[in-house]
Amino acid sequence: MYRRSQSRSTGLFLILCAAMLLLAMLSQQTWAAPARGAAKSALAPLEGAMTQVAGNVDRVTSIFGDVSALRAENQRLKAADEALRRQVVELNAAAKENATLRQALDFQRSFGHRMVATQVVGRGPDGFSRTLQVDRGTADGVKPGMIVTTSAGLVGRVREAGPHGAIVQTLADPQSRVNVFLSKSGLQGTVTGGPTTLQLQVEHSLGLTASSGEWALTSGIGGGYPRGLVVGELASVTHRDTATSDEAVLAWVNDPASLSLVFVITDFTPS
Amino acid sequence: MKRLGVAALMLAAVLVQVTWAPRVTVAGVFPNLALVAVIAIAWEGGVRAGMAWACITGLMLDLTAPGPFGPHALALLAGAYLTGFWMRNLDRESVLHPVVAVAVSTAVYSLILIGADDLLGLPVPPPAVAAELIAAAAVYNAALIPIALIVARKLHAPALTRRIEQT
Repeated sequence: MYRRSQSRSTGLFLILCAAMLLLAMLSQQTWAAPARGAAKSALAPLEGAMTQVAGNVDRVTSIFGDVSALRAENQRLKAADEALRRQVVELNAAAKENATLRQALDFQRSFGHRMVATQVVGRGPDGFSRTLQVDRGTADGVKPGMIVTTSAGLVGRVREAGPHGAIVQTLADPQSRVNVFLSKSGLQGTVTGGPTTLQLQVEHSLGLTASSGEWALTSGIGGGYPRGLVVGELASVTHRDTATSDEAVLAWVNDPASLSLVFVITDFTPS
Repeated sequence: MKRLGVAALMLAAVLVQVTWAPRVTVAGVFPNLALVAVIAIAWEGGVRAGMAWACITGLMLDLTAPGPFGPHALALLAGAYLTGFWMRNLDRESVLHPVVAVAVSTAVYSLILIGADDLLGLPVPPPAVAAELIAAAAVYNAALIPIALIVARKLHAPALTRRIEQT
């Protein structure tokens, strides 16, 4: 009796496994992408409502000890600080260019990109893929591959888009790669994602060394990201004379856990 | 009616997992409420009920993750099946067993998810990072299972009482 029950459970397990594998294979096909996107958009309103509820709960709990007012003030100062820091970084980086290029670059940075503001309604369901779910999709001009940013700096890239929602792969995702240059030394490197910090491999250059406190901005090399977006600040650098590159830890300008509003750059097409 | 209640609970677990849970991230991981709920149901309601809810909840998770439908359902399914094996052979009254079962299921769930993502060409973390994340997630989820078991026990209590009265 027990054995029969066990074998029935095993049979059901194998059938369900086969069904899920078949579903995964079918839904991965390119012809299924629109239906998949539409299905994923279906949950976005519920996630939006839940995010709002979570926000309200946070607000209610923060009433104790007037934490709410302090938090709002802190957020305002943080935002102002982020904006100022971004300005300082961008000005430092721009100083390396000649006057004409600087003017053109500043203009492009400030006004040159069309953006769609979108709210973060959810995050990836596990710790392995660092993604965000946003409430704008193809109906608003958002397409896979587009760059996502905040006023502080780069967030990531749109991975999938449905009619009214999209999934954004953040820089913290382990497969994320961004080519950057450093604001003071001008050294080039590649930022890779990680669960807690971003890692930066800085290429060696004669007479130049990377140092903590430098800012990393997108270099535009490879055509994946537009040049000049702030990625983060060098928290620590490990010099290795025997290697061709130095290892560095980068403090990302965006905290993925607290992101609520992001912008999708709609007029930049990654190559 | 009970099924509707469980469905609502699973939907709530998924929504909380993708909205609120990332705010309580510790050591790079946050609680996997869907997995904990599925294992609690498998423990209290039996392996078949656990597997059925694993598929449904997994598909809900797949709606919020990049890539095709199925990897999360498959990973949860393995977790529920493993829990079934565990509870057949051990003393179900001990609190320690579901705690260990959820820790082991978390490891299996994570490995299947990483394997499926790798197979489908989706991003996967490097092995050392993955090992750290799996260990942290196992501890986190194990700490939550006693609460989930209390809820699952309450959901299954009327059915259990009816069964006892019939006998």
